[in-house]
Amino acid sequence: MAERLANALKERRGELGLTQAELADRVGVTRKTINTVENGVFTPSALLAIKLAKALSVPVETLFWVER
Amino acid sequence: MTDETIAEKAERLTQRRARVLFALAVLYLAQQASYFSRYDGAPRTVDAVKISAWLVLSIVMLIGITTKGFWFQPKEVRDLIDDENTRANRTAAMRAGFFLAMLAAIGTYVLTMFEPVSGREAVHIILSVGIGAALLRLAILERNAHRNG
Repeated sequence: MAERLANALKERRGELGLTQAELADRVGVTRKTINTVENGVFTPSALLAIKLAKALSVPVETLFWVER
Repeated sequence: MTDETIAEKAERLTQRRARVLFALAVLYLAQQASYFSRYDGAPRTVDAVKISAWLVLSIVMLIGITTKGFWFQPKEVRDLIDDENTRANRTAAMRAGFFLAMLAAIGTYVLTMFEPVSGREAVHIILSVGIGAALLRLAILERNAHRNG
């Protein structure tokens, strides 16, 4: 069965009241990249996943998990 | 003078690139279709001009696909534009371009069994299909990445 990396990026970003652009600015990517990660279109690298978790003040495994 | 930040500028440029890439891909492929539909094999001066224009356009497109682009923008903006997602899209586009170029090469090879194809024509077909496919794929991926924001 296919596995995918699911995430709670949109929910956590919403909790902190951040826009995609503001989060993008914090981790040094464009808004487009945040958008594609949130929509599950793009699987981020470990580096970006850790940066995102740090920017959103949550452990990386809370933000990302493997879905079957 | 505007107070546009680096992030805002990168955002604006990536959106513009997504639109321009799509138009360029369609234009480039349409130009090749027009070239082959009118081609009768007889050498003419106008063909030499068209081929030169195609060659220059192909080189520019190839450089555009394989590099960060935006050569006249500051390094910070260029680095931000070429972020992880863009690099992944570029890799996917080059993979599509390579695959279709190989298919075009196989098709051209088969074609030579039935009808003579010059070396120049073969290169034109393979290069156009490869670059055109990569360009179109990159345009679609970049456009989709901006959607549903």
